[in-house]
Amino acid sequence: MRNGMFMRRSLALLSGLAVLLPALAACGDSTPTATTTTAGGGATVSPTDSGIGITATTAPTKGVDATLAPTTSAATMPPTAAAQATTLPTAGANVTSIIENPTLTGGAVTPNRVGGGGMLRWSNEGVQDLDTLDPALVNASNSVMASGLIFDGLVRTDSKLGLQPAGAERWDISPDGKTYTFHIRPNLRWANGSPVTAEDFRWSLERALSKDNAAGSGSYYLGNISGATDWNAGKTQGLSGVTVKDPQTLVITLDKAGVYFLYQLTFTAAEVVPRKLVEQYGKNWPDHAYGTGPFQVKEWRHNERLLLAPNPYYYRGAVQLDGIDMPFVQDPATAFNLYRSGGLDVMGSQQFPNTLAAQVAGQPDFRQEPQFFDAYVGFNNKKSPLNNVKLRRALALAVDKKTLTERVLGGGAVTANGILPPGLPGFNPNLKPLAFDPTAAKAALVAAGFKDGAAVPKLTLSYTGGQADFEKVATTLQQMWKQNLGVSVQLQGEEQARYNNDLTALANAPDKSPIEMYISVWGADYPDPQNFLSQQLRTDVGNNNGHYSNAQFDQLVDLADVERDVTKRMDGYHQAEQIAIDEVGWLPLYHSSGNLLLRGTVKGLVYTAQGLTTDDWTGVTNK
Amino acid sequence: MRGFLLRRLGSALFVLFSLTLLTFVIARLAPGDPIMQMMGNRRDPVRYAALQQQYGLDQPLPVQYLQYVGGLLHGDLGMSFQYPGRPVTTILAAGLPVSLKLGLGALLLSTIVGVPLGIIAALRRNGPADRVITTLMLGLFSIPSFVLIGLLVWLDLTLYKAHWPSLPVAGLQQPASWVLPIFVLAASSMGYIARITRSSMIEVLGQDYIRTARSKGLSAAVILTRHGLRNALLPLLTVLGPSVAFLVTGAFVVEKLFNLPGIGNTTIQSIGQRDYPVIQATTILLGVAVLMMNLITDLLYSVFDPRIARQG
Repeated sequence: MRNGMFMRRSLALLSGLAVLLPALAACGDSTPTATTTTAGGGATVSPTDSGIGITATTAPTKGVDATLAPTTSAATMPPTAAAQATTLPTAGANVTSIIENPTLTGGAVTPNRVGGGGMLRWSNEGVQDLDTLDPALVNASNSVMASGLIFDGLVRTDSKLGLQPAGAERWDISPDGKTYTFHIRPNLRWANGSPVTAEDFRWSLERALSKDNAAGSGSYYLGNISGATDWNAGKTQGLSGVTVKDPQTLVITLDKAGVYFLYQLTFTAAEVVPRKLVEQYGKNWPDHAYGTGPFQVKEWRHNERLLLAPNPYYYRGAVQLDGIDMPFVQDPATAFNLYRSGGLDVMGSQQFPNTLAAQVAGQPDFRQEPQFFDAYVGFNNKKSPLNNVKLRRALALAVDKKTLTERVLGGGAVTANGILPPGLPGFNPNLKPLAFDPTAAKAALVAAGFKDGAAVPKLTLSYTGGQADFEKVATTLQQMWKQNLGVSVQLQGEEQARYNNDLTALANAPDKSPIEMYISVWGADYPDPQNFLSQQLRTDVGNNNGHYSNAQFDQLVDLADVERDVTKRMDGYHQAEQIAIDEVGWLPLYHSSGNLLLRGTVKGLVYTAQGLTTDDWTGVTNK
Repeated sequence: MRGFLLRRLGSALFVLFSLTLLTFVIARLAPGDPIMQMMGNRRDPVRYAALQQQYGLDQPLPVQYLQYVGGLLHGDLGMSFQYPGRPVTTILAAGLPVSLKLGLGALLLSTIVGVPLGIIAALRRNGPADRVITTLMLGLFSIPSFVLIGLLVWLDLTLYKAHWPSLPVAGLQQPASWVLPIFVLAASSMGYIARITRSSMIEVLGQDYIRTARSKGLSAAVILTRHGLRNALLPLLTVLGPSVAFLVTGAFVVEKLFNLPGIGNTTIQSIGQRDYPVIQATTILLGVAVLMMNLITDLLYSVFDPRIARQG
């Protein structure tokens, strides 16, 4: 995802997360450690018995795009957990994972007795309808959130951002880190009771990466699978990198070892979908969607609501909820009123502006949590005068972020010193920020070759208008730059679609773009620094709208992306992040918080830094 | 009469054709890219090209337009960009009943309440009843719907918190859900209708033929209905006709704030997503409705006032 769109994306994230998160959250015990190495040298993941419940739904983060106002938030983010950096499964090394006791063991698989735990009424804000539930196509966070309740993949993340088995009960990684062998859960069933095999996963991956599903995120996140690019371009007859060894064994080969590949498999695009259903109903199959997740579609009333029923064959056990009633509510204020008049149990997982949050702050059912999310100012690095590092430094030093977050955003955000949000693996508490210092800012301005602020040509700052938070942030920045530096900035608030378009133009032809500075946001797709550094600021990557470029930064992230030693890897990212901060590749402003209303009768859902999550959907009730 | 109809139909076709062209051009002139919206704004030239081809957006604009018009002639409004696999006709068919019910409900309510109140005000001209009605109707006519909605929802939430009976504030889950949206939508036209009825009734009641009728000894009821109302309603028809047309396209603000799955909501969403086929379809739907209602209004005029038919 690219930044630009942030709004969309952020939403997505938020939302997505929220949902996901819940799922993620599960295992109480923290981290698995573990490991078994197999003789071949590859690591095998073996189950420890600790974790029990795991989660659920879907992948955490998917990149979605959302549109959310920055403030909003509650939704979900990807699971990231920082702390667990050390547990990232690195290829080759010790990897562990937890296996849950399959509920259904033995040969006969009988449906679980589901229901009895009440309905969950949960609004999906910001849309009139979902574009799709098809995991190969979902982009918007609104859809990712809903889709994640129905589908599941090979692996999933827990609330602490650890990887957990899902459709695959375990996996082996070859010593070179390029071949992943997944052992599919023997009793895995679709929600209609028929078995799910390795071929279903292969078919689903091939489908997600096909040309027909270009609108989805498959090729973006899973392009590292061997043959994916050619298959996606229609040059081959199939996806060569994914093969079925036997009905329980799926083998995936990669072009290059990627430490974060397993996390990428937690995206929607890697989820398993029923071929029978897709072939029976064609493009409208999501109207009848079922998968291997905790819920299935009972009825999708377009433009109105999505009704979900429990999946009686859910591999983790009996879902207690009677179902989920998810109305689509375009205006978050309407959802807010609906919640307050008793019509909803959960509100705000997609959009929850701070202006509304102020009305319920302090209520026991109101939650606010910082999210893995950056709001930042980006620069057009290909045009004068902002290709001047010293000028960018002067602008960065002149921003009083504390006032911005505490006074202007009313506490709905945390000041951002660096690019990686606190809690994300790789977060560096020792990073040296460009702290607010008007004197140093003025000195930097002089060093940049301007005798004072008035000598700087008038700059423009673009952002998405019409959203209270961005308007406030932009106006505040304008004042700070004027007051602390004497630099004049013209504000350019734009409608979402137009802003997106302008950022695309900036990315494609920066020297012709009128954009000089822009406010954008980024939320984690998956809990890895690579997603925030290599995918945002490396020279010429798709998301690097402003074309920041530094050879040393590139070298550091390229090495870190494939480094298997976690300590060395994170050290590489720390150095790269410091360079990007010193040179102001981004000017990070704040990490925003998510807001959520969650009725006290709802048990089993928790709201964390990653959004609304659950340890285990089978444990969620609303009575 | 036949010549009149043919002429009107001919000009309607021309207007419709111009409308398709204008909508087509204007939608594409707006900055923004439906494919980027579709892709979630991830930048990927290969996927971008594939999608452009899939939706025919790689063709030159004139070709796209001809294909579009060709489809229109077959009743094919195209496929939505934002909702994969959903024809535009299906989307419109889902929203139309909601908008129609809402609009017809509001029209009925505003007429049933507005016309009698206007008559009463006219008959009690300058009396206390007139003053109360006129003030109230002026208020209803002037208050913007988003303000009225805010007020009503606040009242409703207050009732709910006090554990008193209250109305649903959004959605269409129960029959009572219609009450607030229909009232809000009816409010301003109710005020307008009452005021027009009042002034035109006052004018008519001062006419010579009313005096004649009175002197003939006709009862007040007969004078009012046969001679007064029939003539007084003519200006009302001018107002009501075109406003019926807007019923089918939904009420943007009311549908959005009450979260009703009607055409208005669909239109708002499609504009934000640059879903060209849906934007075009809702605009054309509005165009057709306006043309038809104007035609019907003209025809009704001649029913109410035979002089117009003779001239026509």
